[in-house]
Formats: sequence, structure tokens, C-alpha cells
Amino acid sequence: MTSPASSSEVKYLIESSEGNTFDVSGAALRQSNTFNAMFLNIGADGPIPFTDYNEATLKKVFEYCEHSVNEENYSGPKHQDDLSKWDLNFFNEMDQKMFIDVINASNFLDIERLTSYCCERIARMLRGKNTQEMIKVITLPTAEELEAKQKVEEKKAAAAKKVAEKAAETAEKTETLEELPVQQLVQTTRNKLTRKYLSFSNE
Amino acid sequence: MPPFPLLHLPQLVLFEVFKSLSIGEKFKLSLCSKKISTQINNARLYSQKAVVALDILRKKISVLCKNGQDNCEIFTYPNSGKSRDSNAQQFSIACCSVSAVSIPIGIKIFCKNHEEGFLSVIRHLLKMFQCKMSTGRYCWRQELFQPILTELFDLQQEFGTITVGLHETVDHNVLNRIFSYLGLVEGLEIPSVNFLPPSFFIPIFPPWPRRRIIIESNSSWLTLDILFTCTCSYIDIANTNLENKKLDEILTHWKAGGFPNLEYLQIGSTKFKRDGDPILGMVPNEWEDQITIRTDDGSKTAEVHIRRNNLVMDTLLIGLNF
Repeated sequence: MTSPASSSEVKYLIESSEGNTFDVSGAALRQSNTFNAMFLNIGADGPIPFTDYNEATLKKVFEYCEHSVNEENYSGPKHQDDLSKWDLNFFNEMDQKMFIDVINASNFLDIERLTSYCCERIARMLRGKNTQEMIKVITLPTAEELEAKQKVEEKKAAAAKKVAEKAAETAEKTETLEELPVQQLVQTTRNKLTRKYLSFSNE
Repeated sequence: MPPFPLLHLPQLVLFEVFKSLSIGEKFKLSLCSKKISTQINNARLYSQKAVVALDILRKKISVLCKNGQDNCEIFTYPNSGKSRDSNAQQFSIACCSVSAVSIPIGIKIFCKNHEEGFLSVIRHLLKMFQCKMSTGRYCWRQELFQPILTELFDLQQEFGTITVGLHETVDHNVLNRIFSYLGLVEGLEIPSVNFLPPSFFIPIFPPWPRRRIIIESNSSWLTLDILFTCTCSYIDIANTNLENKKLDEILTHWKAGGFPNLEYLQIGSTKFKRDGDPILGMVPNEWEDQITIRTDDGSKTAEVHIRRNNLVMDTLLIGLNF
């Protein structure tokens, strides 16, 4: 059950790639700019499909969001040394695959704080090293791997389109219930969706 | 921990990672592979803005971030020096094969020759950062000065400061190019080269540099008509032939609204006379200290004083528009 109300008590249903659904609080979800652009004001009719990411990844991402609900407003990238004990544990308990999945999901959901901390963590792997040492730290992909990455990006753009369509569909339903203010809301949402979709397509 | 698949990250994340790295780290990372270098170049507009100071004499290129907290020094040497350093590794910079050794403050690059190394590093940096170039005070006396400037002008590259001596060894075509290009240069400095035979080159203005003009050499060519076209905020021109009356006209021009961007003006003159024509209604000998003047519309105030035998008007504006 989802609701357009903005109270932090409101829960939203999230659907993962396995088709599983789970609850996330509105307060946590609002840290995602992608969500804000699509569903915040109009609510979602049914589960929100983030089906490009598995349940474990999405739960990990929203675990972070739930934890940082009560933290002060995000004010730009934080140095790794300034991370709290909880933040450090959060990152340390992930293996590399999960870490990469979390970065990808956080990037798609546009959660600034989490994405920024992930980036800082990667930058830290390279910091203070010379070129030879950097080469040892990173894997240099083959042409085939780069091609595969391109396909993944295209798939993500398609997924973003799917989510956008879902939001637009919800918006249209809302449009029939209320008059002018909602229409304006829908138009705003559509504009945001178009921008978001275009940005994914351009990547 | 297995190697990290950096290039598998989404482009925006990758850009954010690059942004978190210092200039030196980013430069070293760009040498890892052509693919990484390409990604760093793609993130150029997203990257920190850098000031690139060329010190041709010391074979050094300093790359500084605008806030001054991040800098990297790149030294270029001919390949003959490589044998002395067994840590040198082979990389490619701007299609040029080089050896490189990391040092705490930056990196040493060994290339076929100094010119190729220097130009390759500059080309590489221009792709990585939004750069503003500056030439060191004595660069203009080096052979490499002309090819570097020619290449950068062709690229319509912005400059912070260009320092060039008006001396016969500097090709007049290059000088003409510099003076025609000043619209993209923040500051131009022409040092005194009294120890060398003078040049017959006469600078042509406008265009003027965007902010600062400093001329220490002979400026007998300067007329009021030329000076009044100056749009710089900092003007320091020594050794003009402007007499007291002309110097007075400069202040009158400013009071009437001329030099709209001016913050500081200093004009030296070999024809200034302390007992000559009055300036601001007084013979210079009668000036006791600085005189405060105001524009006719009352919007700006300035302090004027005379220093030493040459007339030097040191105009420090106070108040509005700064």
C-alpha cells in the first residue's frame, strides 16, 4: 500500500529484480532524487519497480537511507576520515560485488550522499599511489567488457523509461481525480521524467 | 581484495571519482591506460579548473588548482636522463611514448627531447583540465617559447599571464600574434630588458589584456589616444614620454568617466617635471601628500600621489565598484 502523503510514517512498496517486494519508509525514499522526481507528490499505485537491482542491493541501499534519515541535511561530499563508525561498518561489511551493485543502484536512484561516499571510497583506493601501483589496484577492461557495459547502460535507460511510464500512468490516474492543481503537478512530474529519461539516454 | 573494475562504473560515478582525486593523482591515473585517459578527458568540463604555469627554463610545468590547495609539478627531461632512474616506466602521453617516474610533488617525464616532452605534457593537460596558462618571467628567452605559444594560440587557449620581453630575439610575428590575441589574456607583462639591445617593435593596442597591463620597458610610443582605449583594471606603464599636461589629462579623463574598470593606475614618465605645468591645478612641487579626487558624477574616489623624480601616479581607488 502506498500513499502520496509526505509523512515519514508512510511506507512504499519496492519491487526488486526477483519480483520480491519490501517496504521502505517515505523519509528514506525521499533521499532518492529519482523517486522525488517521479512519485513524491503523486504517490505510487502499487509497488515501485526498481527491477534492475536485486533485493539484497536495494535493501542495502535503503538501509543506508533509513539510517541517514535523521542526519543533518547533506551538504556536499564528506571526506572518508569524517565518516561515522556506522558508515564505516556499512561499507566494510560489503564485498566488492555488493559495493559495485550499491554504487550502481545509488547512482540510478540518485542518492547524493551515498553515491558521494562510495566515490570517495574508490578515490581512496587510488590516493597516494604512483601509476604502477594504480594499475595494480584497478582492472583494465577488454573491448568485449566495454561493449557489455554499454549494453548494461542501455538496459538501465530502458528500465528508467519503464519506471517513468509507471509514474506517468499513476499521474494520469491522479489527474482524473483532482482538477487544476493536480494537472500542474502531473505536468511538472512529466517534465522531470522527461529530463531524467533523457539524461539516462544520453549517458 | 581483487582489482577494482573502475571503468565498469557508470560514467557519472566515474566523473565523481575523478573529481575526488587531486591534480597529481588524476595525472598519474591518466597514464594507466588510454581508456582511462579518454574517460578523464570526457570528464574535463566536470573537473577542477587548473592554472598551468610554464617554467621552460627549469623544464617544469606546475599545475595548480584555483584554490591553491592542490598542485602538481611535472618535470620534463630528455631520454638520456632515464638511465639514471631504474624506476622509470613506459607510458603514452598525447601519442608520445615517454618514461615516467613518480616523485612526491608530482612526476618526472623522460622524452625524446625537451620540446616534445613539454608540448606532449601540455597537450595532455589541456585535454584533462579546463586550463588557464601562464608563462614564467623568463620563458620568452627560451627557444621553446615561440612554438608553445603558437600552438596554444591556434587552440584559442586562455592565458592568465604572458610575460614577454620586447627584444630583437623574439620574432616580430610572434609578438604581433601575442598582441592581437590579448582579448584572451588576463595579464600582459613586458619586463625591462635594458641589459639587451632594444627592440624596434612597437606594440599595438587595442585589444588590451582583460585585467592587467604591466610595461617596464621603454614606452615612448604610448600616446593618450592609445591609453584612453585601455579597459584593464590594473595599469602600470613605466618610461612613457608623457609630459605634465598629458598626465593631467589622464586624471581629467578618469574624472569624466574614462577607464571604467580601473582599480590601479601607475604611469611613469621621463618627461615629467616637478616644476613644470600644473597637475590637478598645482605645480607638482607644491604637492604635499596625496590628493583625493572624485569622478564628476561622484561615484568613485581616488587618491593620487607623486613618487620619485619620474612622475608616478599611483591611483588607488576607494569606494564603489570593487
